[in-house]
Amino acid sequence: MRDPEPRPSRRSLWWLLGPPVLFCVAVVPANRVEPWVLGMPFLVFWLLLATLLSPVCVWLAARGDPVWKAHRR
Amino acid sequence: MSIAIVALFLVAACVLGIRAARGQDKVDLAAWSVGGRSLGLLMTLVLMAGETYTTFSYLGAAGWSYTHGVSALYVVAYLSIGMAASYVVGPLLWSYAHRHGLHNITDIAAHRFGAPWLGVVLTVAATVFLLPYVQLQITGMGTVVASVSYGAVGLGLSYLVAFAVSEVFVLASGLRGSAWVSVLKDVTVVVTLAVVFVFVPLHFFGGYGAMFAQIGAERAAWLTMPGPGSSTYGLAWFLSTALLNGAVYSVIPTTVAGFLGAASPQTLRRNALLLPLYQVLLFVPVILGLAATLVVPGLKDSNLALFEMLGTALPEWLFGLVGAAGALSAIVPMAVFMLAIGTMWSRSVLGLHERTRGRQRQLAQVVTLVAGGLALGMTYVFPNALVRLSVISYEGLAQLLPLVVIALVWRRMSLSGGVAGLVAGLLVVVVLMATGNDPWGGVNAGAIGLVLNLLVAAAVSLARPGSAPDGRLAAPEPVPARSGTEEDHR
Repeated sequence: MRDPEPRPSRRSLWWLLGPPVLFCVAVVPANRVEPWVLGMPFLVFWLLLATLLSPVCVWLAARGDPVWKAHRR
Repeated sequence: MSIAIVALFLVAACVLGIRAARGQDKVDLAAWSVGGRSLGLLMTLVLMAGETYTTFSYLGAAGWSYTHGVSALYVVAYLSIGMAASYVVGPLLWSYAHRHGLHNITDIAAHRFGAPWLGVVLTVAATVFLLPYVQLQITGMGTVVASVSYGAVGLGLSYLVAFAVSEVFVLASGLRGSAWVSVLKDVTVVVTLAVVFVFVPLHFFGGYGAMFAQIGAERAAWLTMPGPGSSTYGLAWFLSTALLNGAVYSVIPTTVAGFLGAASPQTLRRNALLLPLYQVLLFVPVILGLAATLVVPGLKDSNLALFEMLGTALPEWLFGLVGAAGALSAIVPMAVFMLAIGTMWSRSVLGLHERTRGRQRQLAQVVTLVAGGLALGMTYVFPNALVRLSVISYEGLAQLLPLVVIALVWRRMSLSGGVAGLVAGLLVVVVLMATGNDPWGGVNAGAIGLVLNLLVAAAVSLARPGSAPDGRLAAPEPVPARSGTEEDHR
């Protein structure tokens, strides 16, 4: 548009696909009771891990995002 | 004793809500509907956490896992996916609405296409899909209060209290008041869930290991999908629902109210980063629902699973606190649902005429009251009608996605394309639902509808492309690449 300069790339936003991959792709092989991890059946453990990794994915997206960096105080 | 604690918290909620109105602009609609677009990170977080953690989380999630097993965790899956997506979608909607002084999805879409009638259509559709949620909160509150008072307070009275309390603070102070009541709610919810999560395994099973071991030995079918004795909620359903609801999350009018209330797009990005952690809490009712299959087996109403189990064992005061958390989980989301309905009707329907334009705030408040009253009345008269409709609420709201979000980034999307897609998507959802085919072949009907919706919208738009001027598209966010001359977005 009226931006004369090339816009900095926001390629790191691909990390936002992390949660759908964790929950919707990886869950297929994770749909099992064995092995038990930390006292939890495997599927419950996996979904808990995915829940904890989701913010990490968003953080990775933000970390490389020029828009995020520009507004960071 | 326990019911007195619930009453105390409800009074506190009213006081907090009314106090939040002090110093607020009394005329401006935005001050009420989107908190003056000034909520900071903490208030935005608390409000949006408060919106996602409804009575469904307390009663429904435990009831779901009690009946169908761990597929109940689809809630966590879609919220995590939706919140990640909100890193992009939240700032997009915020910037567009901020630039043009818009208040929710209906006036955003109407503005994008320069078509006020589209706002009317979307308002009617969104209301039909949101009212059931208001009613679900009312009935949820009834269940909580009736169980916590050990049956002393009847359902009818509890329904009325839920309506009255949420109307009091939402009419007084709008979104900002809801955020303040969310503070009380979130603290109560976090504390009680933590306590209960320690108490139940120790009291009934002697520890976590023992609890899971017994569940594994006697309820193994509950621990994977599709769960016990049914194939309805299998993997395909889990995947399609997580993706669909995750995509819809950002256009649910209550989520959008939260987005637009934020002080800056950066607040929303920080929110997208922190909010997913809150979802860990949802594991508590799901796991406790599994435990309840052993403690209180054979319940007729699975929504009672959590409270039936706790009622037999917790000391009264603690049971009262759990009840207070449950009651607050009903009234906060309910208030924001009603506020969103009021805002949409005022902005996109009733306040369009030049003679009513100056009264948008009063109109929004009147509709907020009427919508709540309607849901309350339906609860008494046709308790099942709206609940049946709520099954397709998310699937129906999903069909608004192209017109509200994709339109802002796709210049050539035409009004006829968007509307054709909407009609196609809604038809698929309604027909599959009415013929008992949801899920269809294991896949969520809303997801099938949305795919068709997108295909139709794309095909029609490509055949006869529209062309939106720059002002009707989301502007790329300014990136001050090198410090210096660029204007700051805030």
